[in-house]
Amino acid sequence: MPLIEFADFSFKYVGADSLALKRINLTINEGEYVVITGPSGCGKTTLCRAINGLVPHFHRGYIGGNVIIDGINTRTSSVANLSSIAGMVFQNPSNQLVTLNVERELAFGPENLGVDPAEITNRINEIVELLFLENLLEKHPHEMSGGEQQRVALAATLAMKPQILVADEPTSNLDPKNAEHILEIISSLNKRGMTVVLIEHRLDLVAQDATRIVLMNAGRIVADGKPREILVDDICQEIGVGIPKATQVYKGLKKRGIQLPSVPLSGEELAYIVQEAVLK
Amino acid sequence: MSFLEVFQYTKQDSVIHQLDPRSKMVLAITSAAISLMFLNIVPLLIILLCQIPILFLAKSVRRWLRSMKGLSFLLIFIIVFNTLLSTVANPFSYSVALTIRLIALMTSFSIFFLTVHPDELSQAMIQMRIRFEFAFAMSMAMRYVPTLAHEAYSIMDAQKARGVELDKGNLLKRIRNMIPIIVPLIIVSIRRALSVAESMESRAFGVSQNRTYLKRLEFQRRDWIVAFFSIAVLLYLIYFLSFFGLPDWMLWGFSF
Repeated sequence: MPLIEFADFSFKYVGADSLALKRINLTINEGEYVVITGPSGCGKTTLCRAINGLVPHFHRGYIGGNVIIDGINTRTSSVANLSSIAGMVFQNPSNQLVTLNVERELAFGPENLGVDPAEITNRINEIVELLFLENLLEKHPHEMSGGEQQRVALAATLAMKPQILVADEPTSNLDPKNAEHILEIISSLNKRGMTVVLIEHRLDLVAQDATRIVLMNAGRIVADGKPREILVDDICQEIGVGIPKATQVYKGLKKRGIQLPSVPLSGEELAYIVQEAVLK
Repeated sequence: MSFLEVFQYTKQDSVIHQLDPRSKMVLAITSAAISLMFLNIVPLLIILLCQIPILFLAKSVRRWLRSMKGLSFLLIFIIVFNTLLSTVANPFSYSVALTIRLIALMTSFSIFFLTVHPDELSQAMIQMRIRFEFAFAMSMAMRYVPTLAHEAYSIMDAQKARGVELDKGNLLKRIRNMIPIIVPLIIVSIRRALSVAESMESRAFGVSQNRTYLKRLEFQRRDWIVAFFSIAVLLYLIYFLSFFGLPDWMLWGFSF
């Protein structure tokens, strides 16, 4: 059974003129790492909100079709109910930290769910180790850098033990180094078996780890497949999605009649492929 | 605003900090009540002298002194004006007593606020059967003060860069100058509130009737002792004052 299933799902926000999502059909299985990308206003955020029930329960509007998460229809379930299945990380880290220190922050979600305090302590210890938060535990959100804040926000979501991690541009407010660090953590979570749905513009940072890329434009899914298939497709240029430099080189060479044996997603891979080709 | 420091939590490892906020609340309220019972210099000085060892125990004397220094202007102002305008028999003596009473009152509450972390305060409120949502709203207000202040500064910078002159003109003009700061700040705050709500909703805020708490406060023996002792002193003083009145040496005051 798929973990996430969109069946002909459409959505229009109250007061909006056009549909934010138009007849979306999308199936995501356990353990996948799906990157959703597309120009702004294409509906990716709405898609993510629909996974944990914020659409239609928090952001109201007109709805068609269904979203089924782990067998639960989001129409009939509450955000709170879905929160322990699909954890959500947002763009702005400081808006996600609502308590006065990190330890409380990590406890906040499980406390709301009524988890036993001893179990909460266990979860906190586990997560602190996983995300290297030892020296942050006593800190006020305002005393931390953006990168640290986002790491804490991620940890606070993980403390609820979700099966799915949904992250809506978690790196857009961060500098490149911190962005890379957050994405490394997300990728390592995926390798431990967590299903990840990530919105990200900087495909060069995620293309290698993602198992699947979904391209969206104007409320529809326009392409869906493995990174190496999607990124060489001309549709990326058409809708203005930036592809990794190495993949650009691959495409440029192809235009000039040189066919590399496989599609590189990073400079490292490109170097390897070229080396192999030259040595032959 | 340095005098407000006495009402701001400071992290310290002290006996007073370790007390339960509820017992400290009893201590603060009773000692404020006791300060309000007297209007003579000697008993008020005794009260103040009793409060200072508590400040020592809380390792906060220096902070208290600094705030009092910041406040000294206001205190002198109160003494001078009260002496000049008051209609009682010995105006100077009276205003000195009033001032000491003000200091004793502030000290009572500052012992509380200096040593109670806002999180502990909201936890104490919850355990006193105040609804979680209200207690949490209070601690969230504390949480977002620095964030909003930061935002206000960046809006000010942005508006200055566009040529808004904030510190020019008379008082009325200056107040009007604040409009281009306040309006964006309100809009930004509303947007932020929505986004905060979204993220809290995603973390199951307010869902369970049986919300658990990582750290529950527990009333220990030392807390019972503090609470009992405070109430006992208050009751004894009420009893003493109503049956015997103050002894003569406590009624001493300046004769002008």
